Amino acid sequence: MTSQIPALIIVVPLLVSLVVSLAAWIRQSLCYAAALCAMLVAWISAILVMGRVINQGVITYRMAGWAPPWGISWHIDHFNAIILILIATVALINLIATRSTAAREFEDRPGVFYALYLLFVTGLMGIVITGDIFNLYVLLEIASLSGYALLGMGSGRAAVSSLSYLFIGTIGASLYLFGAGYLYIATGSLNMADIAAILPTIEQTGVIQVSFILCLIGLFMKMAFFPLHTWLPNAYTHAPNSSASLIAPLTTKVMIYVMIRIVLFVYQPEFAFAEMDIDRVIVWLAVIAILAGSMLAWKQERLKRMLAYIIVAEVGYMVGGFWLGNTAGMTGAVLHILNDAMMTLCLFLAAGAVISRVQTDAFGALQGVFTKMPFSMIAFVAGALSIIGVPPTCGFFSKWYLISGGMEAGHYAFVAALIISSLVNVLLFFRVIEIGYFEPFDSHHHKNGQTVREAPLDMLVPLLVTAGLLIVMGFYANTLVTWIVKPAISAATMGGL
Amino acid sequence: MKSIALTSVALLCAVLIYSTMGFPAWGDSDSPASTHVSDYYIENAVNDTAVPNLVTAVLADYRGYDTLFETTVVLIAGLACFFLLRRFKPRQPQHRLYRHIDTGITLIIEQGGKEPTDSEEFVRIDSRWVPYDLVIQQASCLVIPFLQLFALYVIAHGHHSPGGGFQGGVIFGATIILMAIANDLRSAARRVSERLGALMASAGVLIYAGIGALCILLGGSFLDYSALSKLFAFTPVMARSHGILGVEIGVAVAVSAVMIWIYYNLASAGRHEEGL
Repeated sequence: MTSQIPALIIVVPLLVSLVVSLAAWIRQSLCYAAALCAMLVAWISAILVMGRVINQGVITYRMAGWAPPWGISWHIDHFNAIILILIATVALINLIATRSTAAREFEDRPGVFYALYLLFVTGLMGIVITGDIFNLYVLLEIASLSGYALLGMGSGRAAVSSLSYLFIGTIGASLYLFGAGYLYIATGSLNMADIAAILPTIEQTGVIQVSFILCLIGLFMKMAFFPLHTWLPNAYTHAPNSSASLIAPLTTKVMIYVMIRIVLFVYQPEFAFAEMDIDRVIVWLAVIAILAGSMLAWKQERLKRMLAYIIVAEVGYMVGGFWLGNTAGMTGAVLHILNDAMMTLCLFLAAGAVISRVQTDAFGALQGVFTKMPFSMIAFVAGALSIIGVPPTCGFFSKWYLISGGMEAGHYAFVAALIISSLVNVLLFFRVIEIGYFEPFDSHHHKNGQTVREAPLDMLVPLLVTAGLLIVMGFYANTLVTWIVKPAISAATMGGL
Repeated sequence: MKSIALTSVALLCAVLIYSTMGFPAWGDSDSPASTHVSDYYIENAVNDTAVPNLVTAVLADYRGYDTLFETTVVLIAGLACFFLLRRFKPRQPQHRLYRHIDTGITLIIEQGGKEPTDSEEFVRIDSRWVPYDLVIQQASCLVIPFLQLFALYVIAHGHHSPGGGFQGGVIFGATIILMAIANDLRSAARRVSERLGALMASAGVLIYAGIGALCILLGGSFLDYSALSKLFAFTPVMARSHGILGVEIGVAVAVSAVMIWIYYNLASAGRHEEGL
């Protein structure tokens, strides 16, 4: 029976999301509790699966009992096991932290919100766990569609922003599907391991090169890699807070995971790096992405919008680090996926806490928030330090690996971009901290007469836990790298590099 | 801006046309797609699943996990339409409108006036003139039962011929939509209420995922229908065949209900009044 534990990661959130969407018409109050239980089960199963992967190696789960390549199978190694834990952790913390926000934002339809929430998480975990390129696309649709719905429910321009995300996201997913279809034409298989075994044996034609480029561009659109990022700032700024802090930390990171998975485990390094020879070009694009993301963030006057542009720059970090093509750079990219998700969660939750009390996230209205909401702002500062890359927060360690990877590859422009972006981040966050800490609280700005005070405990505790995790992950960065990130990368790169 | 879009589309076209040169010839029986996994399905599907229709065997068994999530995509579309569009607060119009069915005369009842709510001869409408055609109403009444019977046939016959849950479900859903178009949304909602539609939509996917989870409880993998043979007196191969029928029914319930639910929300902009 223990062989069925991996199945629980997907099956429990899926089944409960269906039960929740039924319960939405019977007892709305049950929905939150059911969602919480489902996320707990998924989180525990993800940790158990990680333990089994460390002890016994790769797990292959055969869906419906059919052997690959005839049926769909899951392939769980160190790399996706840790991403599964990451997704479950972020979704669980955010679920607890945004309970009251969600109740306010979706007062008459919380049941359907939690159903979509669970389906979004199911979709992301399904993308990560699968070993089948078409199944990955199906789960990508699950995560994307529920994401569009969750982002579109905000006030003001949320629906329009979500619609433009839908257009761009659909084009990106279609390009990925095109690439997967081309791979099927060339190999006759959809199973990742099977394709990886067939690809080196067949005669190279333009089909595989084109499929590689199409997949990559599609994923670049989905992960908001500059200049294909245009959907992201609006979608995340106007979104409801309870869904923004779920989707912002996870979507882009999971798409970077997919890029790494496809490049290393399907096309394989010999083809992707040596034969295609586009790694230098992509690192240069990443340099531009990092600089442009940082500069655009500097121009913003609202907290959430600034964070959205920081995500654009961070995507550049990870894409660039991966395409450096050496172990240090890839270690940095994988570690940064974990760190960046937690940092983004921390900052978005802090922004959500501020918005719930101050009613706006415009910089001008943040005067004196440090005195009124000290604990929330401590967590915000922890997230900010981690984004900047100050030790002992986790952001320092992944940035260290990225920079040493850049030095090793002799790509000094990438190193310079990382350092410049860190300096810009210092300016960005100290501008917020200056307004919030040094300028006195001014009640003129809060005309609705509501007294601004510390966020409620159910919001504050998860936020502080997240901030604490940033520091814990910093202390254990070395352990993470030795036990999880190194085996994850070496599994794919044994032949090449 | 337009020229950039045009250039990138032209570039993509050029790349796609270039790549077709590497494709195997049209109908080439030696191409990878027709030699690698397809052979296995063609040779073994009937022995493995007792389903004569290969497409159904691949769709609902070999790759049933994909199909489960395809059904979930349909459900998410329904949930998203509800989530984004539904407005629960009814509009409070200055006056209410009723039509006398036999004469087609529209009554305008000011606030506080007596409304013919319990009368069989009046029907509530939302605008002063609503298209009303006896021929279309009666014709759709005649057609709907046969369409529904055909939908059930398509669902049940997925094992042997083209068809199955998606197609049958859409036909069934279309009959209720036809009723809503020929009459109005309120009269369709008296047959299939919004609540019923929403419950059926989730319940349909739950049937599919539940059968899959039942297989885990019986000791198989997720969606491994052969485990159902422990529960019923089937051979494992027949259990796969019946499992496929079970999930097809789940798909049909979900798809038909989602069609209706989406139509209600789209046609009435989420207000569930008169509709189109």
